[in-house]
Amino acid sequence: MTIQSTSEEITSAVKDAVKKLFDEGKVDLVIGYTDGTMPLRAQPLFMYNKEEVDQFKWNNLGYINIAKYALQERTKKVGDEDADLKVGIVAKGCVGRAINHLIVENQIKRENVVIIGFPCNGMVDINKIEKDLGQKEALEVALDGDNLVVKGNGFEKAYPIAENVSSVCKVCKLRSPPVTDVMVMEANNLPLDDSFSDIEEYNKKTPEEKWDETIHMLHDCIRCYSCRQACPMCYCNLCFVDQNKPIWFSKSHNMKDIFTFHLVRTIHMAGRCVSCGACTAVCPMNIDLNFITRKLQELSKRRFDFVSGMDQETQPPLADFKMSDAEEFMLGGE
Amino acid sequence: MNMAKKIMQKNQLADLVNAVKNQYDVYAPVETEDCNIQFQKVANAEKIRMDYLNTTSPPKEILFPRTEVLFEYEFTTADDGKREPKLIPPEIPDKDMLIFAIRPCDARSFMYLDNFFNWGKFKDDLYLSKKEKLLLVGMGCNSPRQTCFCTSLDGHPFGKDNLDVFMVDLGETLMLEALTDKGKKFMGKLSFLKDASEADIAKAKELSEKAENAIKVKVDVSHTKGIIDDEFYNEVWNEIAETCIGCGSCSFLCPTCHCFDVVDEMDYENNRGRRVRLWDTCQSTLFTLHTSGHNPRTERKQRCRQRISHKFCYYPENYDLVGCVGCGRCIIACPVNNDTRKIIESINAVAKKKEMEAEIVE
Repeated sequence: MTIQSTSEEITSAVKDAVKKLFDEGKVDLVIGYTDGTMPLRAQPLFMYNKEEVDQFKWNNLGYINIAKYALQERTKKVGDEDADLKVGIVAKGCVGRAINHLIVENQIKRENVVIIGFPCNGMVDINKIEKDLGQKEALEVALDGDNLVVKGNGFEKAYPIAENVSSVCKVCKLRSPPVTDVMVMEANNLPLDDSFSDIEEYNKKTPEEKWDETIHMLHDCIRCYSCRQACPMCYCNLCFVDQNKPIWFSKSHNMKDIFTFHLVRTIHMAGRCVSCGACTAVCPMNIDLNFITRKLQELSKRRFDFVSGMDQETQPPLADFKMSDAEEFMLGGE
Repeated sequence: MNMAKKIMQKNQLADLVNAVKNQYDVYAPVETEDCNIQFQKVANAEKIRMDYLNTTSPPKEILFPRTEVLFEYEFTTADDGKREPKLIPPEIPDKDMLIFAIRPCDARSFMYLDNFFNWGKFKDDLYLSKKEKLLLVGMGCNSPRQTCFCTSLDGHPFGKDNLDVFMVDLGETLMLEALTDKGKKFMGKLSFLKDASEADIAKAKELSEKAENAIKVKVDVSHTKGIIDDEFYNEVWNEIAETCIGCGSCSFLCPTCHCFDVVDEMDYENNRGRRVRLWDTCQSTLFTLHTSGHNPRTERKQRCRQRISHKFCYYPENYDLVGCVGCGRCIIACPVNNDTRKIIESINAVAKKKEMEAEIVE
């Protein structure tokens, strides 16, 4: 099976499953993905009836975590704010985990969502490809076997997907949602373990080196807060950055405040981040924000043996207390 | 022979920067570490990229920075123990400013900003004092992006609106043409310029036509204003806002978006403070939050409608100009690919649908 044929199979299997759900009257709305209006893009797709299902397409570019849509007013019937829509969500692993975690945090009602799981075969890292293309423009992009073939004015280049898969997908073990109502095809999850190979190198660094690296990474940040907007775990009515009574930090553009924002954002993600990589993918300045939260995932796994979004009951470690909680950090640990 | 059009070799860029850098702070397209192309102040020609599509963020930030100090103040204690505030005016650069190799769409965007900052009784001195010092050296767009639609908005990939000097990239050489007195003075400093040949001029014309034909997308904005006026409550706004996540990338990266927030920052320890203005976006809930607690735009739909209405309805109402230059940055930046061209299409479709319904009734 190549990536292309798997993606095609996913597309057709999801379509069949969603159509069946509409036939059975089990959903009012299904949220999925489709092709974008320009190459290297996918669009979230809102399907309200069986006819619209044919637009669904999994093109390995759907980096928006569509669990976020289940949170918002869009899942209410237009003109009737009290009536919930029954929302189906076409979920890859990280979307499924986000739904689970939002159910744990009482942000989504279990009975209002239908989780349509599929075995995700990875997202293409468009930032990487766009960086590689530089000032050449992609005019046509298509999956071809295990490659993504990009065509433009006077060039054609094949990017092997295995090498150009998004950094979160490279280390992803939960490719299918842990909890589903409908599962299309077979789940492809890997056993969970304590290996976090991608941050091994980071762990070897001294605190000073880590500090320098982080400051360097965040240097281009324009504080547009796209990362917050795209994150399925960011749902506060009023984010601390927007509060002005009291003002927690300055709104102007300087490294001190950029760092404060990212520090607080990251800490809020401890034990909650589902590693969907949406923050990294949406960053207009191409900052790898997920790398920072990745470290916290390692800590929550090693300290608390907790992986977010695995079920719909377990409280995240920082919202919970157990007598067995490790507390070596109190004595000046890592 | 054409006296007005001059030629220089690309490897003379260093000479160009040297010839003008005493008078001007030179801003030119430079590639950043993150592979973004941005206008940055350069001291020499080493890093200037001439073969760029367009900058990631718009050049508006040179006159209208993301964070701009309006004034600073400081408290001093007089001999009699009285605390006296002292006002420190903002710094305005001594030198003139030169934006080198700006694209025609972005050059037009300064017309839009001028309208706003120079409007009626309320002149923005800070912006205007910088604008006075600005020289725009534009460069024709040899390969417009597929997301470009400047030709739908009175622009052109080789348009000369609002420029002082217009350049064409002929491959090995650059062809320069002064369009204003300021531009002539600038070109007067460049002793190495040679007259352009007929062949150069013919090649430039050919490139211009090729670029114009490369822009396949036509967006019809001729009736959009009227439709938006009539269809404030239309359901189409629900569709438009459906996938939006409210990140505001579209407005931050828009060369004509000019809304700002003003905040005071106090430094209590040092008895000083400052008032700054920052870019703001209508896509944030806080944008319209009143002191009373009332917020007229609590829903995503209202905020999406505002952005589109401002560009295609209110701006033309105020200044008789559609508030978009067609650079396509909003399309490229949008993380959910909510394409502005499609949005305009769906608004136009509302009117067409109504017309058809009216015909059926008749």
